Amino acid sequence: MIERVLEAAARRAEAADAWLRDGSTSALRFEAGRLKEGTLAQEAGLNLRVIARGRVGVAGTTDLGAPDELVERALASASLGEELALSLPPLRPPSAVPTFDDTAAGLDTAALAALGRRVLEQLARPLWHVSASVDRTVETVRFANSTGQAYTYRSTGVSVAAEVTRVGGDDVLMVYDHVAGAGPPTEAELDAVAQSIIRRMALAERVVTSPEGRLPVLFTPTGSAAVLLPLLQALSGKSVLQGVSPLGGRLGDSVFDPGLSLTDEPLLPGRLGSRPADDEGVPSARTALIDRGVVRGFAYDLETAARAGATSTGHGRRSIFGRPAIGFTNLVVAAGEFDEAELLREMGAGLVVDELIGVGQGNVISGAFSHPVALAFGVEGGEIVGRVKDAAVAGNSYELLKRIRAIGRVQKWIGGRKAVPGMVVEGVNVAAR
Amino acid sequence: MRDRLAEALRRCRSDYAEIRVERTWASRVVYRGKRLELANESVDGGGCVRVLNRNGGWGVASFTSLEALPAMLEAADQMSRAIHLEEPISLAEVQPREDIVVPQADGDPRRVPLAEKRRYLEALNELILASSDRIADTQCAYGDSWTEWTFANSEGTYLHESRPEVALSASATARDADRIERAHDSLGLRGTWADVQGREEMFRSVARRAVELLSAPTVKGGTYPVVLDPKLAGVFVHEAFGHLSEADFVFENPQAREMMRLGRRFGREIVNFGDDGAAAGLRGTLPYDDEGTPTGRTELVREGVLVGRLHSRETAAKMGERPTGNARAINFRHPPIVRMTNTYIGNGAGSFEDLIADIPLGVYAVDAVGGQTYLENFSFTAALGYMIRDGKVGEMVKDVVLAGNLFQTVARIDRVAGDFRWNQMGGGCGKGGQFPLPVTEGSPHVRIEELLVGGEMPR
Repeated sequence: MIERVLEAAARRAEAADAWLRDGSTSALRFEAGRLKEGTLAQEAGLNLRVIARGRVGVAGTTDLGAPDELVERALASASLGEELALSLPPLRPPSAVPTFDDTAAGLDTAALAALGRRVLEQLARPLWHVSASVDRTVETVRFANSTGQAYTYRSTGVSVAAEVTRVGGDDVLMVYDHVAGAGPPTEAELDAVAQSIIRRMALAERVVTSPEGRLPVLFTPTGSAAVLLPLLQALSGKSVLQGVSPLGGRLGDSVFDPGLSLTDEPLLPGRLGSRPADDEGVPSARTALIDRGVVRGFAYDLETAARAGATSTGHGRRSIFGRPAIGFTNLVVAAGEFDEAELLREMGAGLVVDELIGVGQGNVISGAFSHPVALAFGVEGGEIVGRVKDAAVAGNSYELLKRIRAIGRVQKWIGGRKAVPGMVVEGVNVAAR
Repeated sequence: MRDRLAEALRRCRSDYAEIRVERTWASRVVYRGKRLELANESVDGGGCVRVLNRNGGWGVASFTSLEALPAMLEAADQMSRAIHLEEPISLAEVQPREDIVVPQADGDPRRVPLAEKRRYLEALNELILASSDRIADTQCAYGDSWTEWTFANSEGTYLHESRPEVALSASATARDADRIERAHDSLGLRGTWADVQGREEMFRSVARRAVELLSAPTVKGGTYPVVLDPKLAGVFVHEAFGHLSEADFVFENPQAREMMRLGRRFGREIVNFGDDGAAAGLRGTLPYDDEGTPTGRTELVREGVLVGRLHSRETAAKMGERPTGNARAINFRHPPIVRMTNTYIGNGAGSFEDLIADIPLGVYAVDAVGGQTYLENFSFTAALGYMIRDGKVGEMVKDVVLAGNLFQTVARIDRVAGDFRWNQMGGGCGKGGQFPLPVTEGSPHVRIEELLVGGEMPR
């Protein structure tokens, strides 16, 4: 299909590139502690971009039997498109990174169920309502363009997630954890998911009043999403190009605490963001975004690079419909030196934030955030004393990340594609009811 | 198509089976700043099958190639049989029926040239760009879709609907040195091209608001009496109450069920909540849900007391209640789950001025950027706010994030005005990996005695 489409496009356009994904996901859902639903999802689709008379057009389809219609729609899209001197990338071989795990691909229903059960069994307690899911994806990606770049790679992914809900009168506690990667999780990783839930359920048993004021906060790896999200938006070359990134024009400047380093790493074996090349034919390579507090780079795809006078950094991400856009691969926030007990002692008194409500809503790119806590704990005398409810934290990421008190030694992998350590930051506004 | 589905169902050996097939034509135009980012048309399609066997679990399969239908039914049947449940899953009875629904749409968006859609959005985008030299960026989108939806099950139900949707969205970013503010508005309708004409004021108003926010102070964090405008009150009832009313949260969790027991008092007699999947002309309205159950109006809270909840066939059977037609899927890639449709706070009495007249210091929170629920805790972000001082609307404030506990907050609703309106917002609801589901909310102005408002702490 991809060759036919490119051939038909090449007859009527100066250049074209096409990306095809054919994947299948098997999933099991456990509700109220038992296996309840088995799902199979199959999807195959193609995204075509053409450059015709200097204008760019895009079309996608899941109907792989109609290549000519797809080309017609892409050309129609180009006829309305803006002029852009978009050139396809130079021909370079894709980088080498393993993305396909044979064991993952070969797991049958019984094996998938066993992964879920290992976690569920450890969470079977009175009054704990437990749900879990196990997902396994096998995918083939094909890319080709009209300058001769062409490659195919297969990938796998397995994720196991569990959630405990405990209702006591009007008090509801929900604690979640997961593990995800290209291959099946090890027994140790599955046990760690269960233990992480059990530990937080225990810490949450006692409810304490929230501290208030401008306080130090330990953002756990999952809790740090609100603080880091503004940076991810600001580091996109698109935001810089549009003139709305607070980091635009600050390449080479020391903007953050020297303890903060953030890299995009597409070549890590076993991680879900890894791939030999991006979805536009650019071979994958590591990108330093923030290095010891200094802004080192922005993420670009082909179109944004063409408009910005920059070079694609291999961050072109495609889906079946829509146009290619900038997307990160595996994001790694550098670890620090403190273990968890030391992070708490560094803090002395304050709040541990594990999850916030409403992250991603609001004026994110400005750095300002304000969210009530979903799961948080009070800290006194360097120790967690209980769960804090009915509190909200607010601040501005650009200010808070200028001085980071302490960074944790251990990174947690979130969603199989983001490694984040815990972080103690100072001067967070905590309001309580 | 009908014969193909009937034949596939006949060959399927599951005790219960259903097939849902969709084909969607869509067009989309996006402007970012001065430039057109995208103008194109697409076709998408596929199917989803679900089966049940006695003492087996659910088997679900979705696919993009219709050729795979028989194989997918077989795969679903095998998955269902591989699961052994002690307590069988049963489905509430729904009268089998045949219906082919002709939409009341004003025109077919597929007949409007893409160039014309582009011209319209270009002009709307230009209204924002031209409004002020402090406008740094815009993001505006037009989208329409037309879905041919077909449903058949082993009980003899056969349904066909044409489902149109159209949406406009406007986003303006204003910048003044280091300060960056955004304003956003959107319109979503179960309609077509004709229904979104003449929307210039929506775009002008977004531009104005972004610039005004540049000089608005951040609200001082703290607890205040709060008046919600109809848009934000609608988001509140959806986030804070609607999700807890979705029966899949409680139907297998006895403690949660006790928390949401029918007959429990949640608020004063002025408080009425409901969900209406059949209300004429609204975005969340469809004649049937994605299990083939007719939709309708479900009262959730009547005069402060919990009287109902939202069901799928499975949750209704489990709880011994009637199915309400609230099983929805965003598209064929997903199975239906319990979702809202058009959720509302019922009309009260009095004007907005009546609600603020006796407030010495409070916050008037307007419009919603978004909301999220964490069970009995919720958060929503107002687009902006105004201080209420001595019974009058005062200065604009920003970063108005409202947070609370559902039970306490509903109990603290002490006034409901008589100015009900439906909000035809775009975007949609997210749950279980299915985003965005078209929904609507409606409400009058609502006053809450006391609510936590986020923002800067006083120094």
